[in-house]
Amino acid sequence: MNHQRKDHPLQDATVPNLLEKTFDYNLPPLIRFDGPIVEYIDGKQVEFDPKSVLTRDIVITDTTFRDGQQARPPYSVEQMVRIYGMLARLGGPKGVIRQTEFFLYTKNDREALDRCRALGYKYPEVTGWIRAVKGDFRLVREAGLKETGMLTSCSDFHIFQKLKFRSRQECIDSYCEVVAAAFEAGVRPRCHLEDLTRADIEGFVLPFVDRLMRMSEQVPEELTVKIRLCDTMGFGITYPGADLPRSIPKLIYKLNRECGVPGSRLEWHGHNDFHKVHINGASAWLYGCDAVNTTIFGVGERTGNPPLEGAIIEYISLKQDLCGIDTTVITELAGYLTSISMAIPDNYPFVGKHFNTTRAGIHAGGLRQAEQIYNIFDTAKLLGRPPRVAITDKSGVDGIAVWVNEYFGLKGEDRISKIKVHKIAQWVMDQYEVEGRLSTITDEELEAKVKELMPEYCAKFKGSLKNL
Amino acid sequence: MDKEEVKKRVKKVTAQVLGINASEIKDEAEFTTDLGASSLQSIRLVAGYEEEFGIEMDEDKALQVTNVADAVDFISTYLD
Repeated sequence: MNHQRKDHPLQDATVPNLLEKTFDYNLPPLIRFDGPIVEYIDGKQVEFDPKSVLTRDIVITDTTFRDGQQARPPYSVEQMVRIYGMLARLGGPKGVIRQTEFFLYTKNDREALDRCRALGYKYPEVTGWIRAVKGDFRLVREAGLKETGMLTSCSDFHIFQKLKFRSRQECIDSYCEVVAAAFEAGVRPRCHLEDLTRADIEGFVLPFVDRLMRMSEQVPEELTVKIRLCDTMGFGITYPGADLPRSIPKLIYKLNRECGVPGSRLEWHGHNDFHKVHINGASAWLYGCDAVNTTIFGVGERTGNPPLEGAIIEYISLKQDLCGIDTTVITELAGYLTSISMAIPDNYPFVGKHFNTTRAGIHAGGLRQAEQIYNIFDTAKLLGRPPRVAITDKSGVDGIAVWVNEYFGLKGEDRISKIKVHKIAQWVMDQYEVEGRLSTITDEELEAKVKELMPEYCAKFKGSLKNL
Repeated sequence: MDKEEVKKRVKKVTAQVLGINASEIKDEAEFTTDLGASSLQSIRLVAGYEEEFGIEMDEDKALQVTNVADAVDFISTYLD
């Protein structure tokens, strides 16, 4: 390939270009596209329009109470009701978090479902999850649900080795019998194509989906089959040019444009075995799948599912609008779930204790001058979490000044200069250089030192002291 | 306050903060390269001058002063 060099003359400036169209500090950084996405499928060039996410009704669905509970001790009914209420507030009145699925097997499952629905929220809608067994529709009907997920595993690993079918034909016939039972029961079936990214797409998946589409032509729109694309083992990849069955673009293309399943009836369900879970889900949106299935903080089977809060932030970035989402509920969820023994790593994005904590003095210097320099967006406004500094020997006086100003709750012109915190800074340095300390200085220690060494400021700003 | 008095007191504070003898501090001495001031000591010097002279200086401008003579001139502007 001939690469012709191109000159790039400096565009000198005396005022900064902060790229505010993309980095509007009031929102997560926006994701803007300047052209189509191109793939080659079956030898043809195919285009996808990523800008369509601005107008399509893309949504987030939740499986915290189903896949999420497969990876942890069961939630109590009370806990599920609390979490459901928070999901409703987080997703807002437009139903960005459109659905959440429940098990239906135990008394607790059913009580939780009833109490969640009694809260009266329109969204997330409650759906069920059952085995592909005709008798299970009784549970769905009794629960008064309109839609349920059902297992329709589609790799030969599952068809032959797990489910012990003697042929693919026998398998398809069995699945379709259950789908027909769902129609009869007046319940919309959502077929979970388990292990899709390890399946024979042309040989089994597409013929199966073709048959589901033909069956759907015989029923009212509200009963037509939905398809969940289950990347059960996390094998899915987004790389252009990757082949089937691992290629997410090609999977969605085949189902959407060849089988004719509308995007509104396609849902991506991923797993994180190869660290790709979030971007795989977000990419599914771009390629035409309208729903991405998630769990709160990504807790799910083995390595987990797409994190719901990550999908929320991505959603805002793609839609370039909050869309009625109350992002502060993400912090509320973290507080609640840690209070019931969920461990969240300190460096976990958006909610970890140190997700927006800077340690290096040189970074703290930037933070002190303008917090945008080292903060991803206005985390105080959107998450109730202002940027912080952790104090060590690397924090410098800048870091300590940021900490002290945060402690006193001071902003703008009111902020205390670093000259005024020099005694604290000297004490910190002595901890490491004289005392040989190796650990981070805690907030409690700093608080005590501020009271001791800056008593005049403590008296002056008594009313605005922050609870760190 | 005359410049000589300002200089004498600047050198006194500088000696205290940096742990050196005031008589060894030359007028043209650079705080970092000649007297070995660290970034924290530079902050402490500014804080020390403010306390010594009962003034409050512009932080950014004060930290741009690099030697003793310039410090004397800069502080004097607050004493006029």
